[in-house]
Amino acid sequence: MTTTAATVRSTDRSGIRSRFAREANATFAIAWREVLRAIKSPSSIAFTVIFPVIFMGVLGGSISQNLGSALPYAYLPFMLIGMVANTLYQGTIVGVTNLVEERENDFTAELFVAPISRYAVLLGKIVGSGIASLISLVGIVAMIFVMQIPMSFGDLLRVIALAPILALAGGSLGVFFIGFVQDPKTAGAGVALLVFPQIFLSGALIPTAGSTGILGVLAHLMPMTYSIDLARNIFYAGKPEAAFTVLNSPWLDLAVTVGFFLVFTVVGTYMFVRADRNR
Amino acid sequence: MDPTIQVEHLVKRYKKAATPAVDDIGFEVGAGELFAFLGPNGAGKTTTISILTTTLAKTSGIVRIDGHDLDRDPTAVRRRIGIIFQNPSVDLHLSGEENIRLHVALYGLYAYRPFYRAMPADYRNRIEELAEVVGLRDDVFRPLKTFSGGMKRKLEIIRSLMHRPGVLFLDEPTSGLDPVSRHSLWQYLRRVRAADGTTIFLTTHYLEEAEEADRVCVIDHGRIATIGTPDELKADLLERSIVLDAVDRPALIAELRSFGASPSIDDGGLIRVPYSGATAQSLVARVTTPLTVLRVHDPSLEEAYVALLRLDEEPETRGLQGSAA
Repeated sequence: MTTTAATVRSTDRSGIRSRFAREANATFAIAWREVLRAIKSPSSIAFTVIFPVIFMGVLGGSISQNLGSALPYAYLPFMLIGMVANTLYQGTIVGVTNLVEERENDFTAELFVAPISRYAVLLGKIVGSGIASLISLVGIVAMIFVMQIPMSFGDLLRVIALAPILALAGGSLGVFFIGFVQDPKTAGAGVALLVFPQIFLSGALIPTAGSTGILGVLAHLMPMTYSIDLARNIFYAGKPEAAFTVLNSPWLDLAVTVGFFLVFTVVGTYMFVRADRNR
Repeated sequence: MDPTIQVEHLVKRYKKAATPAVDDIGFEVGAGELFAFLGPNGAGKTTTISILTTTLAKTSGIVRIDGHDLDRDPTAVRRRIGIIFQNPSVDLHLSGEENIRLHVALYGLYAYRPFYRAMPADYRNRIEELAEVVGLRDDVFRPLKTFSGGMKRKLEIIRSLMHRPGVLFLDEPTSGLDPVSRHSLWQYLRRVRAADGTTIFLTTHYLEEAEEADRVCVIDHGRIATIGTPDELKADLLERSIVLDAVDRPALIAELRSFGASPSIDDGGLIRVPYSGATAQSLVARVTTPLTVLRVHDPSLEEAYVALLRLDEEPETRGLQGSAA
């Protein structure tokens, strides 16, 4: 015990004075925590890298060999862009829904008793999970060489530059989900229901331009459809394949993505906080 | 001067619960006061502390912390409080220091840096100082997965003190701590109180910790059973007594009865003489029988607490309830 009353008084306790700066600082800290957690979990890294590789190599490779020749464009770049967008989007969903587990093991008490807005907490989770999901792109980029996918790095970088939008879009869907699902077991099963239909219905792996009937309706209802189409709009901009690969105008994709983001974030945050406090 | 914590008609009824967990309680805690909030398991302590720290919504009632209404300005309330949770609220994937660094960023004390060495010297000094106080030292940099329960508790203590809160809520802060660490913590808390005038709201099952509280409030079945200083509680609920014995025990008992005392044989086979009003010395001074044993028994808070809860279980003693300040 070496502390004295003098030293207790001497330190400035006010810290960061601007409210905006405090919120931004907290958001950054929460985001970095997500990155640290990802880095410190080798098994999780291995899984997130291997998972898209299996999808691309096995499912994508099989579709390419058996059905790719019937398409008026190269299937592998189409699939690759879909998988990049899907990985960032879904990786953020999974990271954000982890809050349900953290509530169960009491960690959210530390976050929600802090003098910051709930939006800062959830934005930090979204940003951090989005950055952490970039790790899984390592496997996807490696598959460009393994599967000899014809594409320039400039094109790929343009799509990766969309990462913030994709992460925010996916994260907001995660927030919406945890606003209504509080039980960790239900959340685990629910995330699978949220992730897998979107992989197949949103056009990440399988083209949906010809989908009609119920499948066509579902494809249009999937929030990820618009994020993936936005990524393809960027990748195929100015290329003749755009006529076959892109569903909507980029502005429509962006508007729908922003709309989903706003509704999901506001409603999800309200419901999540309400469920947490109104027991 | 306004009290630091004001609670009026607080009620919390959980969803689907038949009875309220907290049932119309009220109390005030003054600035710099050490307020012990005691009660058996399930009495409503953690529910109350969760409401006061904004992590649980109340059903009805008014709560103000440092003049800020809990409903109208929860952020201002959160800025003024520190908490040690009953269940450790820590991230096991991070190191101890990384947990603390996250905490100080959440409270806006320091700009967050991804690496410890990049944090300001003031922060690093404080970590080292507090790690020394609770006996964690270099362990604070180890992954939390390797921490024992007691070490996690120590980490929470460091974390709660980092932002020097005006009001510190301690929900069983020393459970799982070894006696040396417990002693160090209380020494430090006394120093913090003296230096910063920190108000402390304590729940604990170690009643010797509550002995030094300015006031003690006992809650049972969601209602306040009693509130007062430890001495008031003891005086209200228990009699002070002296314990005597003599070779000529019948003579001693007869002598005690001759001046109106009521001696009885206690569990240890010795003569116990309760006294109230008079001092132990004034009683002993009248005894002429040679004594072989002489002890003054000053009842502990724990004895008073146990006596109170036993009384509370008896319907005819319900009149004791509701004496909140």
